Amino acid sequence: MLFVKNGRRNDHGRKRSRDGSRGAGNRQTHTRDSPRPQDAVSPAPSGNYGRQLRELLGGIGAPKPAAFKPDPFQLEALTALEFEDVLVTAPTGSGKTWIAREEIRRLLDAGKSAWYTTPLKALTNSKYQEFIEEFGAGNVGILTGDRKENPNAPLIVGTTEIFRNQLFDALRGGEDVRADLAVMDEAHYLADEERGHVWEEAIILTPPRIRLLLLSATIGNAEEFAAWIAEVRGVHCGVVTRPGARPVPLRAAFLMPDKRLVPLLNDKGKLNSEIMKLTEQDQQDRYRGQGRGRRRRW
Amino acid sequence: MKLRMPEMPPATLLAALGSYDLLPAIIFLPTRRRCDEAASEAALSRRAINDQRREARLEFMRDFVEQQPEIRNHRHWDAIVRSGIAAHHAGHLPAWKLVIEKMMSAGLLDAIFATATVAAGVDFPARTVVITVADRRSANGWQSLTASEVQQMTGRAGRRGKDRVGFIIAAPGPHQNPQRVAELLSAPPDNLESQFRATYTSLLNLLDAFGNFAQVRAIAEKSYAYRNLLPRIHELERTRDENEQRIRQALELAPFRLAAGAARGLERLASARSRLLELAPHTRREALLRWLHQVVQPGRIVAIGRSGKRLVLVTARSRDGVTGVREDGRTASFPLARIGRVFAPVFSTKPDKTEEAFDEIHDRGNQLGLLEPRLRDARNEEADSIKLVNDLIDSLMPSALTGEERASASGLLWSLQPEAVAIERAERQIERLRAEVWEPFERCARILDRFGYLDITSERVTDRGRWLADLRVDRPLLVGEALQRGLFAELDAPRAAALIAALVADEDRDYGELELDDAIVSVLIKFEEIAFEVSTEEWKEGISAAPEINFSAAAAAAHWVGGSDWPSLVRETRAEEGDLVRLLSRTGEALLQIAGLKQTHAEAARTAAKAAEIILREPVR
Repeated sequence: MLFVKNGRRNDHGRKRSRDGSRGAGNRQTHTRDSPRPQDAVSPAPSGNYGRQLRELLGGIGAPKPAAFKPDPFQLEALTALEFEDVLVTAPTGSGKTWIAREEIRRLLDAGKSAWYTTPLKALTNSKYQEFIEEFGAGNVGILTGDRKENPNAPLIVGTTEIFRNQLFDALRGGEDVRADLAVMDEAHYLADEERGHVWEEAIILTPPRIRLLLLSATIGNAEEFAAWIAEVRGVHCGVVTRPGARPVPLRAAFLMPDKRLVPLLNDKGKLNSEIMKLTEQDQQDRYRGQGRGRRRRW
Repeated sequence: MKLRMPEMPPATLLAALGSYDLLPAIIFLPTRRRCDEAASEAALSRRAINDQRREARLEFMRDFVEQQPEIRNHRHWDAIVRSGIAAHHAGHLPAWKLVIEKMMSAGLLDAIFATATVAAGVDFPARTVVITVADRRSANGWQSLTASEVQQMTGRAGRRGKDRVGFIIAAPGPHQNPQRVAELLSAPPDNLESQFRATYTSLLNLLDAFGNFAQVRAIAEKSYAYRNLLPRIHELERTRDENEQRIRQALELAPFRLAAGAARGLERLASARSRLLELAPHTRREALLRWLHQVVQPGRIVAIGRSGKRLVLVTARSRDGVTGVREDGRTASFPLARIGRVFAPVFSTKPDKTEEAFDEIHDRGNQLGLLEPRLRDARNEEADSIKLVNDLIDSLMPSALTGEERASASGLLWSLQPEAVAIERAERQIERLRAEVWEPFERCARILDRFGYLDITSERVTDRGRWLADLRVDRPLLVGEALQRGLFAELDAPRAAALIAALVADEDRDYGELELDDAIVSVLIKFEEIAFEVSTEEWKEGISAAPEINFSAAAAAAHWVGGSDWPSLVRETRAEEGDLVRLLSRTGEALLQIAGLKQTHAEAARTAAKAAEIILREPVR
């Protein structure tokens, strides 16, 4: 037995034949290549469930193409970078990299140089590619544990470990790391159990004359973190957070075993009572199942 | 509140998502194998679907193969082209993962079944993210997802510029928990917490740069970890100051002059006295046991019972018990209290040396026995000390007091004991917190000192330590010792790679049972001895034991460097490609570090450079 047969499902099926045109509204947005195998259960969007579903799925699809316009938080970060270190916290995909790219562009145009660190080799490689396309191969170098190309380029992309190693070398040799800006992508790696200490070492040892731009996922204690950076480096560190958190709004739903899609939360932000019922039912089934299966021996 | 619903068959799940127009989707599954299975199952069911993007996918992958030829014959190739459904996890080749990511970004795929690892790092969003489990498999078994992990997952829902809304959908599964998912979704983001720690590399580099421990300590105390201790330190300082204030006020009000430190002096003396009283033995048996605790140690021979005839060579001690070897070679374990006599010499516990040891005791046992203390001696020592402490307590009172005043002064001092105790405790805690960040560096320093990489007294990094500082590998001391003892000098490239692979591999990951030749085995055994020596020293300093070295990884690396081709390596190790690539590229990176030591270890550097070059060939890069 895989899925609970739900009486209501059949019910909906019948009703749909009456006002199917409305209910099928969202099905028309299907691209031609979307799957429609036999076992797909069409939503039966009428009555209460239908209203709820339309609300849940309302607005789904692609927005009108619009010319790129920087978000205010991106501009705010760029302005702040002119006179202080900046910690940007925003979720993935909200345009943190844009800030770094614009600042790097400004520096390269002025004949200055920058270091861009990432925690992962894969990420380093993809940034390297991205920056070559943006600034030209001659201007970008890459340094990872097993890759070393164009190491004297004005823009270096590399793992945080290599950047930290350069800081060690500079400290021991009494030289300077050649950079006017250090970008630390995925700066929340500082909390990584294994490797997090490398981020702390890098932040502590980066000379204050090098501007720091930290790009981090959303964290709870951004202000406190920035205050620490400022204390350690003696340079003020501003915090720029994307207001409203997500660039694309998020809706949460639960796919019922009978394939109906219901909102995960009710209006009050609590778990939807229908899902609650499902879990209770599940608990009872298990309890009864145990009673039958396992006879008490004593 | 777990919901033990069976997982929806992947095809059914995708069909349902499709019917709501929720594709493309990333579906998170708990294990790599589930991802591969789900992708194949779903792909199979979509055979009949006519998808115009099929051609586009084929073209895309063909283009990609020109840059990354190693994915040409990937076993999932056809299924992906046909169905637009893929699996993505750390078991796959990096190049393969990359092509999946790019196809997803180009809108050529409908669904990706992925493990949570995809949540970190590389950016490829979808319209919908599906969570089927509220738990995650970790090294320590199943653990609940954290708010940050769920955030990383939902961060992929909703493509900027392509979606007006993104969806996170919880689907039924055997480890599903809708309540927890709901909570995690609305949980505030996790705080960033410091993981700062002492490492050999950071200590050597910083000490070499600054030339003194004080500045290294100052750097360590700039850490975020240290900063986070400060509020607790300040709180304790406040407690200490308040109590000091109270004592000062009480003493000022007294009709006679008592020094401000008297109350704390009394506290220290009183607690010293009570420690002494606790220690003083009351019976002969106690005195004997205490003595045995001190003198019975591995390598010594003891006699069981008073007769002194049954001899045992102690090999290990627990708190109240002893394990050892009897004269007939059998092992014996017994409580400490059964020991009658202890002999002075400390012998080797190696099996081939025991006979000699017993012979010596039989010959000269009468002269070699340790004298057990008599009870009166043991007690007298303590009693003397206690009397001394009592005198000191008396001397805290001002001398020119009448008997009555003396009594009241003493009463006052005793009444201030709770405050004095609080001050002592706060100061001890402050000291402990202050040392928390620095102390581990001291431990590293003591170990490096023992192996000659730095000199603690002159606060200098030795010549040896200077090249170790340049060696940025995972377990530098081990590699350093292997180099130092010339282990690399005798190796060819495959064996050098084997050695390093054994070290950098995860302890518990299995890379099959490829055969190791005798030469490699003997090098690895020598290496294990070094590892044992190093971890013994580390263990003494309270640094937890380093992971064991991984023989199967050594074999895999030796074969790869010895010229094996990729498909046979994968087949013979039965390891997943992604794991092999990670192992070999980590090995290559460590070899490149050794290759950098041209000045001090020319020969090892040459071998390492050669091994690295061979190891870092396609598809390992």
